[in-house]
Amino acid sequence: MKDAVANQPANTPGETMQKDPVGGLLQVEHLRTVFRQGRREVKAVDGISFSVNPGETLAIVGESGSGKSMTAMSLLRLIPSPPGEIIDGDVFFGGRNLLDMSEDELRDVRGNEIAMIFQEPMTSLNPVLTVRQQLAEPMRVHRKVKEEDIEARCLDLLRQVRIPDPETRLDAYPHQFSGGMRQRVMIAMALACEPRLLIADEPTTALDVTVQAQILELLKDLTRQHGSSMILITHDLGVVARYADRINVMYAGRIVESGTAREIFEQPRHPYTLGLINSMPRLDASEKARLLPIEGQPPDLGNLPTGCAFHPRCPFAVDQCRQQDPPLEPYQGHHLKACWVNVDD
Amino acid sequence: MTDTPLLEVRNLKVHFKLPGSLLRPRSGGSVKAVDGVSFHLKRGETLGLVGESGCGKSTTGMAVLRMTPVTDGEIHIDGEDITHLKGRALRPLRRRMQMIYQDPFGALDPRMRVLDIIGEPLKVHKLVTGRKAYRQEVLRLMELVGLLPDMCERYPHEFSGGQRQRIGIARALAAQPDVIICDEPVSALDVSIQAQIINLLKDLQEELGLTYLFVAHDLAVVRHICDRVMVMYLGHVVEVADSEALYTNPQHPYTQALMSAIPIPDPRAESRREVDPSIEGEVPSPVNPPSGCPFHPRCKHATEVCSRVAPTLRETTDGHAVSCHLYEPETEAESLVRVASIA
Ligand SMILES: Nc1ncnc2c1ncn2[C@@H]1O[C@H](COP(=O)(O)OP(=O)(O)OP(=O)(O)O)[C@@H](O)[C@H]1O
Ligand SMILES: Nc1ncnc2c1ncn2[C@@H]1O[C@H](COP(=O)(O)OP(=O)(O)OP(=O)(O)O)[C@@H](O)[C@H]1O
Ligand code: SF4
Ligand SMILES: [Mg+2]
Ligand SMILES: [Mg+2]
Repeated sequence: MKDAVANQPANTPGETMQKDPVGGLLQVEHLRTVFRQGRREVKAVDGISFSVNPGETLAIVGESGSGKSMTAMSLLRLIPSPPGEIIDGDVFFGGRNLLDMSEDELRDVRGNEIAMIFQEPMTSLNPVLTVRQQLAEPMRVHRKVKEEDIEARCLDLLRQVRIPDPETRLDAYPHQFSGGMRQRVMIAMALACEPRLLIADEPTTALDVTVQAQILELLKDLTRQHGSSMILITHDLGVVARYADRINVMYAGRIVESGTAREIFEQPRHPYTLGLINSMPRLDASEKARLLPIEGQPPDLGNLPTGCAFHPRCPFAVDQCRQQDPPLEPYQGHHLKACWVNVDD
Repeated sequence: MTDTPLLEVRNLKVHFKLPGSLLRPRSGGSVKAVDGVSFHLKRGETLGLVGESGCGKSTTGMAVLRMTPVTDGEIHIDGEDITHLKGRALRPLRRRMQMIYQDPFGALDPRMRVLDIIGEPLKVHKLVTGRKAYRQEVLRLMELVGLLPDMCERYPHEFSGGQRQRIGIARALAAQPDVIICDEPVSALDVSIQAQIINLLKDLQEELGLTYLFVAHDLAVVRHICDRVMVMYLGHVVEVADSEALYTNPQHPYTQALMSAIPIPDPRAESRREVDPSIEGEVPSPVNPPSGCPFHPRCKHATEVCSRVAPTLRETTDGHAVSCHLYEPETEAESLVRVASIA
């Protein structure tokens, strides 16, 4: 990437930021996405609000099925419809509401100002196009890069994601790469237009720990260099501890706790977060230490319990929890929790 | 009680022939999935088997169970060589050694009721007589693994991942095995459910005196359940040690790199952790493995000898063995060369 570009101040606020009250890059309000299966309605994203500030990495954690991916897909209106539908909410990005845009306007944002890295690289790489063709496409469409500069830019990107011998790899097809290299090509594609926001959905879950470490370090470096923001979706709390500035913890389609990484790990205030941290196997544990699991099973999103969705598994639950749904409210400053009970240290 | 280990594996090799290509039909090479692995399992212990995807963990487990052809080497149980047992002679082995699989969704027959999934080994190995005893035994097993008895008429798709893994465990226990090979039993499960299953496996071991070979790629999970840990790389054992020794004093450069790559769920500890750069580079192919030490292309300590000569697994301290030239005593020839070069 050109130095002039890399040295620009992080995310100069766009000219159209007037709608944006707190100066966040992304502002999500009351987002609600459902899937309809016959008479059943699965509340995949159940009225959530959050923001992402310029240059920060926000992690979304939570167990399988808690709505992490559907939150990300909703932001870019990639929900398969039917059966899915975004039924409520606003998503402001640089002051514009992504949910009100025309398909054309949105296409201009996707892959350009907001890029997404999907969990399974093979599904988002085109198997019949070479790496060169796939990298060049967004540059031509969004950035009008001159034809004679494209090759150099492609090589530069592959070098940034540490593909060895990029010259010999440029005209290779995705199946000629290993899993880790494909994931890096995906990242190169996502970075091709220097997006202001990168959404990475479990970018390393399918990979080995060693390759995972390479890729996450790379993402951290690159977002830092370009001053981009990142939404990092994962269920690995270890990954979150190293790479996130702030964390949203999701349970059953809701955000149940939100705070800085330190707040979440050192003073978890929602019983689910507490359970999640206690049940993590740790490398630095004492020998054969017993794990403390969260008892019970994850909820059925088509048939949620009354009151707090976590109450059937919650060791702190009181009567109120069974009847009333706790709102997400400040616990301290920007540290938010949705729980009726005060969990002490 | 004797000192004979329950299971002993000597120089095990499992090579898979690759189909030849259209142009060179006879030239298909082979995948050296397991290439000279030796280890033993003591009664009642848990041995962890860790390493990157494709390094031969599952193949080792399958070979021990005699579920994949053994190319070379020996497998002994209670001192008896079982490497070449065939047909009926394998029966008792099939009961004594059970397996729990990674994929709790694929491993259960979707058309069978839970009652029959768990009960099948009881019938196959004729462990109970009569319908009533059969049902009673299945219900006892269900209770043992934390399933409610009224679930026994249901089918696998009606259960969550964690519950299905419990069904798989109950089925393995039905045969009253001595050894259970757990092949990534919690990798497919959510963190909160992982912990439930790991605790269950520990409790069952204590109650029933089971011996586990615990295959995993997650070193943190292994730490919570294993007494000893064996690290594999590209079909070879590169290090084996007591759990505590391995985690506090990893010796092989690969083990060290592996440990440094694992994130710790604690932002303060994380800000101090440095990722070992030697882990850069690609995992090599077992079809065309590197010469010498299989790890040398990625190893930051590699010297000339590493690319030429394969190191052997040898004990450095009591019970701690490592396969790396850094820990090999100098040969006479080498020391002569060194002395000559100094002089
Ligand atoms: N096409 C679909 N039809 C019906 N329900 C769906 C569909 N896609 C997702 N869902 C439901 O939406 C909910 C949220 O799914 P989502 O993929 O966001 O979970 P997640 O938090 O990303 O989980 P994971 O960690 O497993 O990726 C799930 O309960 C899922 O069953
Ligand atoms: N039936 C087979 N035919 C050919 N090659 C095989 C066969 N089974 C396994 N292999 C190869 O042997 C090697 C070791 O595979 P194995 O399944 O033992 O790895 P693993 O360590 O269990 O990996 P993972 O963590 O991904 O489960 C791999 O390269 C694999 O592709
Ligand atoms: S609201 Fe009640 S049930 Fe829900 S997490 Fe808090 S204490 Fe537990
Ligand atoms: Mg997901
Ligand atoms: Mg395997």
